[in-house]
Amino acid sequence: MATEHGAVEPVRDEIVRQFARAALLAALIGAVAPVSIPIPFSPAPITLQVLFVFLAGLVLGPVWGTVSLTLYLAAGAVGIPVFAGFSAGPGVLFGRSGGYLWAYPVAAGLIGLLVHRGTDLRAPADVSLPVLVGALVAGTAVIYGMGSGYMAWLLDMTVVEALMVGAVPFVPVELLKLVAAIAIVKSGRLQPVGT
Amino acid sequence: MLSYEHDDTIAHRLDPRSKLAVQIAFAAAALSHTSGRALVALTAITALFLTVAGVSILRTLSAYRFALVIIAIAPLVSAATLGPPWIDVADGLESARAGYRVVLVLLVSAAYVRSTRIRDSRAAVQRTIPGKPGQLLGVGIALVFRFFPVLQADVRRIRQASAARLGTERGAIDRASHIGLLGLTRAFDRADRLSLALRARCFAWNPTLPRLSFTRLDAPAFAVAVALGAGTFL
Repeated sequence: MATEHGAVEPVRDEIVRQFARAALLAALIGAVAPVSIPIPFSPAPITLQVLFVFLAGLVLGPVWGTVSLTLYLAAGAVGIPVFAGFSAGPGVLFGRSGGYLWAYPVAAGLIGLLVHRGTDLRAPADVSLPVLVGALVAGTAVIYGMGSGYMAWLLDMTVVEALMVGAVPFVPVELLKLVAAIAIVKSGRLQPVGT
Repeated sequence: MLSYEHDDTIAHRLDPRSKLAVQIAFAAAALSHTSGRALVALTAITALFLTVAGVSILRTLSAYRFALVIIAIAPLVSAATLGPPWIDVADGLESARAGYRVVLVLLVSAAYVRSTRIRDSRAAVQRTIPGKPGQLLGVGIALVFRFFPVLQADVRRIRQASAARLGTERGAIDRASHIGLLGLTRAFDRADRLSLALRARCFAWNPTLPRLSFTRLDAPAFAVAVALGAGTFL
């Protein structure tokens, strides 16, 4: 068996902590995929994946939030059943929901950047409410913009048709997730590494 | 559910890197064509791949049923028009053809999932992507694989405990933030214990990986990948 013979190059402690959190958050996003909470007067129930995309940006920050969601996509692509409906495989990334999936790391990075204003993390509980709301709205816009845009191109629909199928039924529910995400970080029970 | 199944098909004997190359090339070729002739050719190639990997079409379609629903709805939405003639058949057909190639891409990816062990994929990722990003991605995939069932059990326990205390009667936001907060604090507790264990075992940027080797079988697989890749530009 081929082995590495060079000197061992240990990973820095802070990176190990952030990396372990990023990997477990990626696994958690897969684990909550089957959870759906019905809400009155809406055809779409609350699913929790996007909530955790929000939390990845808020708690892990721009760098590790993006890493976490990239790991989620890679894990699904190589066959771990983490995508909606326990599906997996490289094809899902190019399939109907591919645009939403590729948007996850971008949205987590954007939310992290807006909330933490750089790569040094600060406690999200101390961040002002308008900044939190603005960051999450921007993240939602990225997810549904990329998701519907890709679906329109892929399935040969107009952008309006794609928005009717892929965004309009879900956006009201996203507002509830936004409130839930803010309630979670304002509880102060999740401390980012280094704060 | 789609997952790796032990078998001795040709696809199982291929190096994961050549299979990944075929996947990406097939997706690129399928997504750049919607003409009838291209779809016939892509269908034939899909049938070949499924046979080579021993994939059952019905089981695969049922595994991807969620994705298939929207693909089936899209042509109807496309065909519907506001005002006469109300139904634009050509528009709907165009969208149906576009949706069909997505089904083919999903079927072909089932061949990869069925024939490739996660640790082989992980080694392929780690060997193909150079430097620290490749290392993080490889180790991360392995950790997601290891912790996925553990966290699924965590989430199940949280929901059962909440239901036993009539948590299902609470408002939607309350329920979502309850599961979100508990799920994440438990996952992060596990992550912090894991990082301690990793540091105790000298978690390094340059660990030893399982051996991967290209065999003569991989040459035709790469040839197919190159041909499909070239087909993208036809």
